[in-house]
Parts: sequence; C-alpha cells; structure tokens
Amino acid sequence: MSRFHDIALAVLIFGCSPSASDAPIAVPDRATFPAVADLLVKRCGTLDCHGTAYRNLRIYGSQGMRLSPGDRPLSKGTTTAAEYEADFQSVVGLEPEILTTVVKDGVSPDHLTFVRKARGTEHHKGGSLMQEGDAQDRCITSWLAGSTDVVGCQNAANGSF
Amino acid sequence: MKKLHLLLVVLYACSDPVHAQQKAALGGEVAGVPHGPTHRPGQPCLVCHGNFSVAGTVYLDPIEKNGARDVVVVLTDSQMREHTVKTNEVGTFIVRTNEWQPVYPMKVALEYGGVTTPMTADIGRDGACATCHFDPAGPTSPGHVYLSPDGGTP
Repeated sequence: MSRFHDIALAVLIFGCSPSASDAPIAVPDRATFPAVADLLVKRCGTLDCHGTAYRNLRIYGSQGMRLSPGDRPLSKGTTTAAEYEADFQSVVGLEPEILTTVVKDGVSPDHLTFVRKARGTEHHKGGSLMQEGDAQDRCITSWLAGSTDVVGCQNAANGSF
Repeated sequence: MKKLHLLLVVLYACSDPVHAQQKAALGGEVAGVPHGPTHRPGQPCLVCHGNFSVAGTVYLDPIEKNGARDVVVVLTDSQMREHTVKTNEVGTFIVRTNEWQPVYPMKVALEYGGVTTPMTADIGRDGACATCHFDPAGPTSPGHVYLSPDGGTP
C-alpha cells in the first residue's frame, strides 16, 4: 500500500506540474505588425506561394488570398483588420517556443525557420527573398527585436520587387 | 508472385499521384480542337507542358470567355530582364523554357491598343496564369485574366 501511495503521489506531482509547453509564449508587437504584414503580403502572400490555406505560413491580404468570401485578390491597399490578425496568428503560431526565445531572450532570429527560408539559408521553394541586413530583412528583424522600423517596412513593401 | 509485387511497388513509387490528379482534373480535350497552341484555353498549361516556362490565356473581359488576340504580354523578372510574347487567336501565349526562363518573382503587363495594364501583384514562382486565375472569381482567385472590365480597349 505504501508503494502504491508513493507511485500515486509521483504521478500526481509530475502529471500536474507545469511543463515546457505550458510556459507563456512571448510574441512580437501586434500594434506595428500591419507594416510587416504589408511586406509579407507583397513578397510572400501571392496566390501561388503563401497566399493559400494549405501552407503552415498562410498569408491573407489585398494582393492575394482573402479572408472574407466577398473580397477579391489583386485589390491593392485593402487588406482588412481581420486579415492582419489572421496573418499575425499564422506567423506567431509557426514556432512559438523558438519565437519566445527570439523575442524575450534576444536569440538570433535565424533560429526561426521563417527567417532562414526567407533569407535562403534553408531550402525554400520560393528561393531567397531577402538578404541579411537588407530593407526587407530589417523590417522583419526589427519587428522581432521589439522596435519595428515601420517606415522601413513601408518602403520595402512599396519597392519594385 | 513476388516479382509481380515488387514490380507493382516500383511502379507505384515512380508515379506522382498529385500530378496525376491535377491532370485528371483538367478533363478531356474539346472535340474538334486539335492538340496544339489553341487547345484548352484558360487551363494551367504548365501542369502538362514541362517545356513551357510561362503560359496562359488573356480574355477580353471578366465575364465572357472570349480570348483576346494579339495582346502583347510583357514579362519582367527580378533581374529586370524583359521578355515579350503575343497572344494567339484564342488569347493564349506560350513562352518555352528554351526561349526564356524568369528568375522569380516576376511582373507582367498587358499591352493592347496603345494602353499598358500592369498586374498589381508580382508572380511568386508559378508561370501558369491559371494556377491563380481561374473561374469563378472568389477569395482565392481574381477570375480569369482579362484586359479591361468592360471588354473594350483599355
């Protein structure tokens, strides 16, 4: 009986104790995300890339996939608040534990698959979309670092390619 | 029997069920239309034609399915290299891989009647217009490619 009680107590303690997956997740700033999202919509969110619901990173926005059944792609400048929110949830939901280390502990952003693929340092069917340190990269990394370069993001989103 | 099983496993391993499904979804040929540059307008050409780099069909307007002939399609890739091609009698244009292969992303514009209409978004990686442009229009497709909303010269 004593052995049974010991086992039961151990199960109770370890079964109910907080695990790593229960630790709070830290995310980048939501308020400045639309500036980042506009860049993602343009560079990543085309209908033949991440403008589809079939990808882990799914991007909604005026240039590609729309959230509302009544909206249409290629309607520049009309990304809705709901689409920005869906994009935010998609980005922060990719690798939340790693994102937390980047946002909270200042770990290098290239620990995120999202950043590595965009930089082309990990195989990405869409190729290399940005180089470390260029305007597009600075937009994303500044957001991850907690000091979003909003003007830089807007310039990058309005760039030629 | 073991050899037959092995053969079946090898054959299955060499098939591409996703691609096969994509091809099957396009349906059969239209009776009376020869297999060639005028067949299957509006379909994603690159599903079957691996020797095409960019291809598609341009229509006159967003409603009717009347192909727009002699439209100049101007393609500009991320290296700022430009390639132009003209649509044929059913509105279809074809760029073969041995003619030009874009470095994506790519921009496209249509020239007709002295007016140039650029596409508002870039093309990410797929040279088949109909991958994204299909009917009916909805949240995941702007509908087929067309020249102008009213069908006239833009």
